Amino acid sequence: MTHPFTPRAAPVGTRSGPVVRVSRRSFIRRSGLLGLGAAVLGHGARLALAQHGKTWSDQLSAEELIGMYRDMLKIRLWETKIKDLMVQGGFRGVAHLYVGEEAIAVGVCRALRKDDYIASTHRGHGHLIAKGGDMARMLAEITHKATGYCKGYGGSLHITDVRLGILGMNGIVGASHLFAAGAAYGIKVRGTDQVAVSFGGDGSLQNSFFTSAANAAAVWKLPWIAVIENNGYQIWVRTSDVCSPVDLARRAEGFGIEGRVVDGNDVLAVYNVARYAVDKARGGAGPTVIECKTYRWYDHYGVAGARFGVEGALGLWYRSNRELRDWMAKDPIARFQRFLESEGVLAAGQAERIRTEVAKAVEDAAAWAAAQPVPQPEDGLRNVFAHGAVPLRNV
Amino acid sequence: MPKNMHYAILEAIQGEMRRDKHLTLLYEYQRPSAGWKGRAIDLEAEFGRPRVQFCAIDEQWIVGAALGMAMTGVPAIAHIPSMATFIPFELMFNHAGKLRHMTGGQAAFPMVLWADMATRAPFQGGQHADAGLESAYARLAGLKVVIPSTPYDAKGLMISAIRDVDPVVFCHYPMPADGPEVPDEPYTVPIGEAAVRTEGSDITLVGYAPQTAEIAKAVEELKKEGIRAEFIDPRTLAPLDSVMPTILASVKKTGRLLTADEGSYTFCNAAEIVARVAEALPGVKIKRLAFPDAPAPGAPEMIQHMRVDAARIAAAARKLVRGSG
Repeated sequence: MTHPFTPRAAPVGTRSGPVVRVSRRSFIRRSGLLGLGAAVLGHGARLALAQHGKTWSDQLSAEELIGMYRDMLKIRLWETKIKDLMVQGGFRGVAHLYVGEEAIAVGVCRALRKDDYIASTHRGHGHLIAKGGDMARMLAEITHKATGYCKGYGGSLHITDVRLGILGMNGIVGASHLFAAGAAYGIKVRGTDQVAVSFGGDGSLQNSFFTSAANAAAVWKLPWIAVIENNGYQIWVRTSDVCSPVDLARRAEGFGIEGRVVDGNDVLAVYNVARYAVDKARGGAGPTVIECKTYRWYDHYGVAGARFGVEGALGLWYRSNRELRDWMAKDPIARFQRFLESEGVLAAGQAERIRTEVAKAVEDAAAWAAAQPVPQPEDGLRNVFAHGAVPLRNV
Repeated sequence: MPKNMHYAILEAIQGEMRRDKHLTLLYEYQRPSAGWKGRAIDLEAEFGRPRVQFCAIDEQWIVGAALGMAMTGVPAIAHIPSMATFIPFELMFNHAGKLRHMTGGQAAFPMVLWADMATRAPFQGGQHADAGLESAYARLAGLKVVIPSTPYDAKGLMISAIRDVDPVVFCHYPMPADGPEVPDEPYTVPIGEAAVRTEGSDITLVGYAPQTAEIAKAVEELKKEGIRAEFIDPRTLAPLDSVMPTILASVKKTGRLLTADEGSYTFCNAAEIVARVAEALPGVKIKRLAFPDAPAPGAPEMIQHMRVDAARIAAAARKLVRGSG
């Protein structure tokens, strides 16, 4: 059993077509071609680095690489804690777990500035952590506490920190693309060099939000980047069963937008293509659609098939355990750790120390969140409008 | 000849765009230009792109972009045509109206959905004559809905809508250039304030655009017969709470309420006003006139038979006051 979108050999004719598969190695090989393209596009200053055999990830310092590793672990351990709390029962909330997809959030957000925007999805905890979200306030929010990011109004699906440039996690599939493209239009109005990134799953290309966003972004060269996290399933249906069998990034071609496919479990490959797209957008050369092939280790939402202290949700009716194990063997964090250790970026035992530190931070966050007060019941009547409260109607 | 509705709205937007250098207008085909007495407003010529942008036939983009902009601090006006009223409905329903609440007050949408509204005109048929859809927007939490019936109110309410930090649906029915003269300078008509168009003591008539013209005619007709009708134009449909005191005070005085609505009978906005009056003032006489629960037919014979007009309003008022039409 393999993932329905297991990367295949690069299609013939990629030189002329805008869709290019990018793994870390092939990216380095292609960097000369990109440099040439950059000169043609007129945003070569930053891209010129690639002409000298160096990719963007080659420019990352050891500190930055370790920061990425730490961010991925934060997502993994924070969400695993949520999973364990949910399995134990009595959890005050719901969650759509992101575990297995950490390389995408971290690879993309590392390519962004603090003042860039992201619009997220129902599976967005990872995006928020990667953009700098506070794990304790996040946990307080998904358990609907008064001191959570959204004061308990939103919960898991809707945690956001607008100050971090996050336009919200959004439970309506595909809306993130439209919001980010709208924010990108606003960037054009203000005349800044920010960019706006939308995350969306493989299902997020199906309704027409994406279409509206892509058309406008293409025609006005908006600084918009759509990151498609293709985990192979739309809720409980295989994407390959319900979508025409092409790489989703190819749909961008129809709008005249460059579409790229990348291994979503390779954080540096994701970073490289994101950095390319971000620099291009900042330079005024328009949007990019990036499809990241990945896999979700847990169910669409909740913890069906999950057990306390065990990673991955086994025995789900719509997928096989072997398929899950195959993807768990491609764990983006273990893979990145091996690479950092082989590069000498992580010293012997350092990964374990980082894991212990992150695990403690997660436990501290959980303890803090558990002790937080619940909201006042009448607060539900507030924040409908900027001022005042709406009247209660059940008395 | 006073300024017409379209000119008044553009004058409002022009003043606000001069005030706020980021305020942006996205539209589809209704070019934002108009002339009056040798003066001309051409927003695209004055402000250029991207602040005034002719978009594709894509109401979802126009409204979605306005929301994305508004959420990032760029106030926006999304102008959509009357046959596309519900295409952006999901965006207003699930996003514009909810995100402030969902985010615990973090998100704000300083945007205006400038929705052209269809009238019950003949020779259109179905899709282009479906008036009354404002009640669907007025039912959504977190949105303000205004519905001007004169050029004066249109300008003042548009300025209020633009300056409001909450999302506002501005329902634009093409109304005659009646009412007070429109000053050149900016001014506001507060959202949530009803207008008492005519004072009277025998019966309260409540209606908003596009029914106001027919109600005004009916009021004159009734006056000749000695029936003094009080005519209230709510102007704001959501939140309704702040306009209800004006309506309730009037019905308390007259003991009778007649509403006229161009929308379909069931769930028309007047139905909500009727319900609130009935709840607050038991025993008052109430009658609700509206369009049947049917699409609007194109043939004039059919649609005239179905819609509310001045004669029917007057007849219903007589019946409430005198017990016979």
